[in-house]
Amino acid sequence: MIAQIGLSFMLGCIIAYAWAQYSKAPIIGLLAMLAALAGLYFVWLPSHATWLAELVGIGRGVDLILYVWVIISLLVMLNLHLKLRSQMEMITALTRVLALGNACPGSSPAA
Amino acid sequence: MPTEPDNSTTWLVVPAYNEASVILRVVADLVRRSYRVVVVDDGSTDDTGRKASTAGAAVVTHPINLGQGAALQTGITFALRHGAEFIVTFDADGQHRAVDVAGLVAALKVNKADFALGSRFLGSCIAMPKSRRLLLKAATWLTRVSTGMDITDTHNGLRGMTQRGASAITLRQNRMAHASEFLTQIAGSELRCVEVPVTIEYTRYSLAKGQKLGDSLRVLVDLSAERLHR
Repeated sequence: MIAQIGLSFMLGCIIAYAWAQYSKAPIIGLLAMLAALAGLYFVWLPSHATWLAELVGIGRGVDLILYVWVIISLLVMLNLHLKLRSQMEMITALTRVLALGNACPGSSPAA
Repeated sequence: MPTEPDNSTTWLVVPAYNEASVILRVVADLVRRSYRVVVVDDGSTDDTGRKASTAGAAVVTHPINLGQGAALQTGITFALRHGAEFIVTFDADGQHRAVDVAGLVAALKVNKADFALGSRFLGSCIAMPKSRRLLLKAATWLTRVSTGMDITDTHNGLRGMTQRGASAITLRQNRMAHASEFLTQIAGSELRCVEVPVTIEYTRYSLAKGQKLGDSLRVLVDLSAERLHR
């Protein structure tokens, strides 16, 4: 029961995080939310997890939950990568303003 | 006696990163033909900016290295602000020929086009390695499929554009993926685009600085990432 509550809390945080990211990265947000909801479902209904795990050939329900966690972790990593890209765009814009403001006009024919 | 063509409204945008050994010759060749030249020194740690300035180019310096795509966008913005009618992007490593610039600008005027893309496969390649040819052919095929553009050379840095064409382009890909992004934006703009035969001369220097197979994979990652994020 304690493990279930702990996992549910963490998955709830993932859902909140995914919801917050949805406006910026809809695909990532949606996939993370679906994975977390699936995780939440299996945490509270482990027999369904075992049944589904056997159906798809994973073996045990616990393993299935572990795989769900791995998927969530990868999605969060991808989202961090996209955030870094977004920050890089801001740095680029700032650098460009600085560079154009300090441009050296040159002495080519009509310059 | 033939009159000199008026090149004063044609701006050459030359992105450069640590090109001190060749930039003087490249810029001098362009300035000699009365083109206006802006070199975007992309955070070089050598004398690139000073040498470009000595050769007569306007120099815009990125305080940090951002990549060729970012440098091109900075140079295009600079040229537009200085009233460029035509803008030609030109590599700093000496593999392009200044004589081809006139052909690109003429193609824009004659065809009433907004983009003139240099094609080494319509023109000629000197000392091009087979591996590079295969890589470029694969990239061209991929671009033709993804953009629907009927072009023969996708990653050629020698391109001409009108003021209107340049204003329709906003490069967000800082590094090498800008070449594909450029073509995607041309396809989306519905402006007229033509290809022009040009000559690319590969040297040991330009090959050392050019793209590798690993860069191609990075381009694919960059292009995929852009589609996932707003």
